[in-house]
Amino acid sequence: MSEIDSLKAQLETLQSEALAAFSAAIDLVSLQQMRVNYLGKKGALTEVLKGVGKLPPQERPVIGQYVNQSKSVLSAALDIAEAGLAVAAKAERVEAERIDVTLPGRVGATGALHPVQRGLDEMTAIFSQMGFAVAEGPEIENEFHNFDALNIPPEHPARAMHDTFFVEQMGDEPMLLRTHTSPVQIRAMKRFLAESGEPPLAVVAPGRVYRCDYDVTHSPMFHQVEVFKVDRDVSMAHLKGVLKHFLSTYFEKEVSIRLRPHYFPFTEPSAEVDIGCVFCAGKGCRICKNSGWIEVLGSGMIHPNVLKSVGIDSDEFSGFAFGLGVERLVMLKQGIPDLRMFFENDVRFLRRMGS
Amino acid sequence: MKIPFSWLKEQVPLTSTPAQIADDLVRLGHEVEGVEMPRAAVAGVRVGQIISKQPHPDADKLSLLKVDVGAAELLDIVCGASNMDEGDKIPVATIGTSLPNGLKIKKGQIRGASSCGMCCSEVELGLADESAGLLILPADAPVGMEVGDYLQLEEAVFDLSITPNRGDCMNTRGLARDLAADAGLSLVDMLPFEAAIDATVQAPKVMVSAETDCPAYLARRIEGVKLGDSPAWMQAGLIMAGMRPVNGIVDVLNYVMLYLGQPMHAFDADKLNGGINVRSAESDELFKALDGRELKLHAGDLVVTDQDSVIALAGIMGSETSGVSESTVNIVLESAFFRPARVSETRRTYAMVSEASMRFERGVDPEMVSIGLQQATKMITELFGGVVGEITLCGNTSEINAAKQMHCSISRIEKRLGITLPETVDDVLRRMGFGILRHADRLDVVIPPFRHDVSIAEDMSEEYARVIGFDAIPEILPALATIAPPRPDRSIHDAVAGGFLQVVTYAFISEKEQRLFVAEDGNDIRLQNPISDAMSVMRRTAWAGLLNVSRHNLNRQQSGIAIAEQGRLYNKTENGHDEKNVLAWLMAGESETEQWYGAARQAGFFDLKGAVEAWLAARGLTGRFIADDSIQGLQAGQSAKILIGRAEAGRIGRVDGDIARAFDIDVPVFVADINLDVLHAGKKAKFAPLAEFPGVERDLVFLLDKSAFVRDAGSDAIVQTVNKAGGKLLTETRIFDLYEGKGVPEDKVSVGVRFILQDASRTLTQQDSDAASAAIIAAMDKRFGAALRG
Ligand SMILES: [Zn+2]
Repeated sequence: MSEIDSLKAQLETLQSEALAAFSAAIDLVSLQQMRVNYLGKKGALTEVLKGVGKLPPQERPVIGQYVNQSKSVLSAALDIAEAGLAVAAKAERVEAERIDVTLPGRVGATGALHPVQRGLDEMTAIFSQMGFAVAEGPEIENEFHNFDALNIPPEHPARAMHDTFFVEQMGDEPMLLRTHTSPVQIRAMKRFLAESGEPPLAVVAPGRVYRCDYDVTHSPMFHQVEVFKVDRDVSMAHLKGVLKHFLSTYFEKEVSIRLRPHYFPFTEPSAEVDIGCVFCAGKGCRICKNSGWIEVLGSGMIHPNVLKSVGIDSDEFSGFAFGLGVERLVMLKQGIPDLRMFFENDVRFLRRMGS
Repeated sequence: MKIPFSWLKEQVPLTSTPAQIADDLVRLGHEVEGVEMPRAAVAGVRVGQIISKQPHPDADKLSLLKVDVGAAELLDIVCGASNMDEGDKIPVATIGTSLPNGLKIKKGQIRGASSCGMCCSEVELGLADESAGLLILPADAPVGMEVGDYLQLEEAVFDLSITPNRGDCMNTRGLARDLAADAGLSLVDMLPFEAAIDATVQAPKVMVSAETDCPAYLARRIEGVKLGDSPAWMQAGLIMAGMRPVNGIVDVLNYVMLYLGQPMHAFDADKLNGGINVRSAESDELFKALDGRELKLHAGDLVVTDQDSVIALAGIMGSETSGVSESTVNIVLESAFFRPARVSETRRTYAMVSEASMRFERGVDPEMVSIGLQQATKMITELFGGVVGEITLCGNTSEINAAKQMHCSISRIEKRLGITLPETVDDVLRRMGFGILRHADRLDVVIPPFRHDVSIAEDMSEEYARVIGFDAIPEILPALATIAPPRPDRSIHDAVAGGFLQVVTYAFISEKEQRLFVAEDGNDIRLQNPISDAMSVMRRTAWAGLLNVSRHNLNRQQSGIAIAEQGRLYNKTENGHDEKNVLAWLMAGESETEQWYGAARQAGFFDLKGAVEAWLAARGLTGRFIADDSIQGLQAGQSAKILIGRAEAGRIGRVDGDIARAFDIDVPVFVADINLDVLHAGKKAKFAPLAEFPGVERDLVFLLDKSAFVRDAGSDAIVQTVNKAGGKLLTETRIFDLYEGKGVPEDKVSVGVRFILQDASRTLTQQDSDAASAAIIAAMDKRFGAALRG
């Protein structure tokens, strides 16, 4: 066998041996070593090249070509083997990092607003959007703001209907826990007039109120939102328009309203307001006592004596007012069956109603 | 107030159904709380006759009856009553009948005997609260007839809630007037009645000293009445109308009052001494009322007296001794008009309510003062005999009888209502008693004397609105003003965002709870009429309410609780009181529950502190927490006041263990509160360029005296010292490690401080951080005697 044939054979053996070794390699590290062993500066192929010196010069390029060919074959095979191992290694890693995605997520504590607060927020927002300014007033009131200025003089039978909590004497005059948010009407009108001289004014006044009454359907503390507007030519039609818009927005559906003549000392005419039952769409059910209507609030045109008590000329200006019970509306909207749940503060209830 | 339908129909020929009448009443402003249907409630109960009666073979107390109810076959009925005999007529509820008590009659077997109906007592028919056995009907009751028809039970009874302004409708005649006017019908005329006068019966001697409070007082003597119970029909009517029969005279007076609205009183003439005087009471004058109460009267109370004593608190209640009883023979009837405000005030003073006072304080119809007396005279003499004397009339009735007049502008009413007033509705108001005349835009109104509630244009606008109907008023959304939307108070919302559940508790707590957190200083605001001791003092701390909520929930398998409340605290002040807005937090039990990824963790001081800090940060504020052992109710060494700027804004700490246990809570409880009124808005975040050059981070670990660290210094002081010493380049400092134990002397604590230096214009060098470290080490030594840990 000639020198050149022997070198060729040596190269072929080397190449097939190497290819077998590459495909048998089990990790990237051994492949790396093989690259050095075969293709490195002192690798097997370089060794073969060293034998070229023994060849006649005209044959040397031939072997050179062979060696280069082998080099590129082996290099390509190494790349493929490496890529294959990398894929396998990643697949293995991914498999090793597999998790149970059905396990519950890590939770931080989650809070929730009280349903009354959500109701107050929603109601106040609706009136704010309609241009009513938000006002507040003290919860411990004097008789003037809670009664007298609202056209409820001391001997008035309506005064007795209010189940008023009185506080023990402090200061010069008897004080009480306000029985409604209507005193804010008086305070807001006085403040407003002092600032801007004359109507128009439109106010929404949310807050806590108190009645000395405690049973299944009464809480000694509850929340009201007082709404009123005074301007030239404010009419009962405006009252109905605002009520309809508010109630439809709050209940997130078109509700029908019905006004029934009633009596409140601070309004004339006065009306109780019913909405078409939101549970049975007016067909009659247990909630509406088969009437198809649910009473939701009291309303009316502000009595001239009330306007007079703050110095507004009732010949020139008129106004409407209404006060709504927050808990009652929230109960209707959220389907809460029992008023007492609001003040029991069971966290299971709060979480459920807060979501 | 209850009014039977038949009474209304006696006054006005109504043809509508009870349901329609109820709707009409509501539309006219009379709230209908319910409509009872006594006759329909016993439909299916028929008059039956017992044909045979035999003992039940297997039960001593039961009888086997064969009953004829007018059907083709006799009914077999097993009956447990014992007061019936063969031949008796009884009410029989037939198969399919539903009784007022909800019982539905079905065919059944009772101890092996079949039963096809039920014999009824008054109780089962809803006619009485108790009975001695079956209701035995008169022998001439027609077999097979509906018992409701036979007993002439009311078709309907209206349960009404008359508003306080409509005293004129607290009786049948007044209510019928509204219904008649609305339906275009006329009221049935009342036949005038003048009793035959017996000259031997003297007219009572009456003097009215308090003419303002008593503009009219009528009295009449009737002698020789033979008093007994009132007739069954009257008693049945009174019961139907919600009143209890008392005795013949009282029943007649109540009956007339329910019909005409005029409350009257009857005295036993033989128990009176001398003439009657209607006057103001003297201070401390004694009065023993019919209800047994003994009152010390106030000057100004209106009383009716004889020569010796007070015989009635005018318009409210008679005395215990002067009233009629079974032995009464001669009576004095009183019918008067008492000034409403006077009755109201006196009634409230003594917390008394009577059917009479309810009507007087709303104002009675002046015309009925005399008509009522005549009607009562008529009924008393017809039922109980007696001879009648002249009426004594005292007082000045001209003012109360005078029809008041008013004028108003039609267009003004129309503008207020948002509708036009058609002239056709004037007739409805005329039928209601008003005089109505129109002159162009002017409305002349004559107000009937019984309408004490009408005096101004707005009152007439209500009258027009209710007769036209509120439904006729359109719904018009007024032009909306645009105003700057308010800056909403997000206090509670941010607390909720921090993981807390919002709660709402009562503003009143028990005094005991108040004292746990607030020392007695005379500034509590107490309720005069609390619901209970537990709700008797206006709260000056929100923590008691939060603890009660915690107790409720920890008792219900909640392992941890994080709640917050926004509300007011109430304090007495020199000039009156103030109401502070506060936000309060509470954490107790587990702050993290046991999970697949980790163990449970109990809430600690720093969980709550972190929440408060985050809440402050959300409004651009930073609080300084200063250890404070003097906060009442909190555990010394785990409590702090919270300063914002110089203002003391809040408090935080662990609830004293004994106090927590008083609320049945065994786990550590942490609370905080912030006075929202002292918070001013913090700095608004402003943009600053982000650092481009990397900073240098260095850790230094110091050994400090333990006592100096916790008690005197605190990590706040260390951070401040480092900040000051670190120079301008120092951007951040924090305590990253606290250690005591192995390797650290017993009285020392190891404190690791990490600080970052940064410059906007260059990369910092080793020299920079060495210089800062040296300055910090020197400052720590100087301030705390702290040495670097080797
Ligand atoms: Zn319904």
